Amino acid sequence: MIRQAIAIFTKDLMSELRTRYAINALLMFVVVTLAVIMFSLVGESLSPGALTGMLWVVMFFAAMSGLSRSFVAEEERGTTMTLQLLASPMSVYLGKLLFNLLLVVALNIFIVLLFLLVMDQFTVAQPDLFWTVMLLGSVGIAAATAIIAAIIAKANTKGTLFPVLSFPVLLPLLMAGIAATKVAVEEPVWDNALPELQMLASYIVVVVTVSFLLFDFVWKD
Amino acid sequence: MWWKILLFFWIAVLSAVAIVTPIAGTLGDLAGVAQWSETKMIPMRFTVTDRGGAADDGGWLLRGADEDGREADFHFATRPDGLDQAEGYLVLARYDTEEHRVEVAEILGDYPAFAFPFIPGLEERAKIIFFHVPMSWMTVVAFLVSMWFGIQYLRKKDLEDDFRSAVSAGLGLLFCILATTTGSLWAKFNWGSFWNWDPRQTSIFVLLLVYGAYFALRSAIEVDEKRASLSAVYSIIAAATVPFFIFIMPRIMPGLHPGSADDTGSGPVFSSGMDAGMRVVLYSMLLGYLVLYAWLMRIQMRLHRIKLKRADVAL
Repeated sequence: MIRQAIAIFTKDLMSELRTRYAINALLMFVVVTLAVIMFSLVGESLSPGALTGMLWVVMFFAAMSGLSRSFVAEEERGTTMTLQLLASPMSVYLGKLLFNLLLVVALNIFIVLLFLLVMDQFTVAQPDLFWTVMLLGSVGIAAATAIIAAIIAKANTKGTLFPVLSFPVLLPLLMAGIAATKVAVEEPVWDNALPELQMLASYIVVVVTVSFLLFDFVWKD
Repeated sequence: MWWKILLFFWIAVLSAVAIVTPIAGTLGDLAGVAQWSETKMIPMRFTVTDRGGAADDGGWLLRGADEDGREADFHFATRPDGLDQAEGYLVLARYDTEEHRVEVAEILGDYPAFAFPFIPGLEERAKIIFFHVPMSWMTVVAFLVSMWFGIQYLRKKDLEDDFRSAVSAGLGLLFCILATTTGSLWAKFNWGSFWNWDPRQTSIFVLLLVYGAYFALRSAIEVDEKRASLSAVYSIIAAATVPFFIFIMPRIMPGLHPGSADDTGSGPVFSSGMDAGMRVVLYSMLLGYLVLYAWLMRIQMRLHRIKLKRADVAL
């Protein structure tokens, strides 16, 4: 199962690297969004707390614009059937989850670095906590969006449905993530973010477990 | 048939009781109000212990006791009507801290046998609990029932279960909209704005979003079996993440609703400190709403079967 999963992960990675469909679109999306934010904030001075919210908005919508690719592409190319025949549902889910994970982590690192670079007012009090939250948040986003992407791949209006279905499911993660990032940005005490970190971790465990149990029903026609 | 009539009267009578029953405070409430306002009047009830006599200023002074057994002087502007027969009054009054007596502004009626307690900051507005709380509970119940039938569909692949799940979600959406609008109208008058992102408002908003997403997903899939299994899966995923909002967050976060983390027990929290009369009316109302929900489910299911039959005939 693990071997199959890794094979699917490599397949997705290879095809992504060859076409660069998601990467190009996502990079442009991030640059454009940040540019819009910067245009609208010329001359304004915002607190790091307010900028934290903006950072998460960019992260959320970037995830919404690119992460449904992994499953939607299979439907569009008509390769779903082949995959169903060749691999077990568990390994398909695991492979896609790994690919989404890589994509989100890379994407969010890019977003955060760019954000730190262009926003002078955005300073981080605790870099270690900040990056921990970013990592946990990325894993959570990848876990929740993987199963939602599998669901919407079967629907008619894929693009618009993805954020609609994802938002309520992602909201606990977003709230905890934003709160923890605010602590990391504004306060010098690590312990203040402990409840949020626990919540992020338990959210990931819950979503991955539920997805594993339910993926069978989504995947099989 | 009979139980539908009974249900109708049950809800109608309880609504009437909830609206008509007066709010009546005690001397303790009056003293509490007097600490922060000298002119604020609140309704209170007392029994007459001594019919008293004319006061120096031409008014009437008598002695009365509230339900806790505490006594005080009550000052009326004129001799109260029917004083010779009256055992007690429901009055609009304030406590005069200089004269150490209760100033009665208006007699609202005789001593009411059944009244809801006066809650500082809520007063008459406390009565929303009999409508808003059952609606909110039904929202959650309908969601859980919808998820339950979703699971049943995934186990048995019976499309009837899927339909039950969808119908329950529809009713849940109805109750959700009702709870949100009543709550937000009430919030305008009690908290000053329609929406202030109190944890419980956030949670009902998330439920509204989940219901909306559920129906958006259903309308986007054409094959019946696919629609059934995907919407069931979505409702289970939502059920795994949303309880956090409904049950945990409103209790650990500071907020305006009773039961929040910074609530010191002033509000009518269900288990403790709530008046027995209020609790009986609230729980009876909950029962009424539950049966109403079951009835609506039945109607929808019958409609569904009739439609299926007609489709068969047409084929």
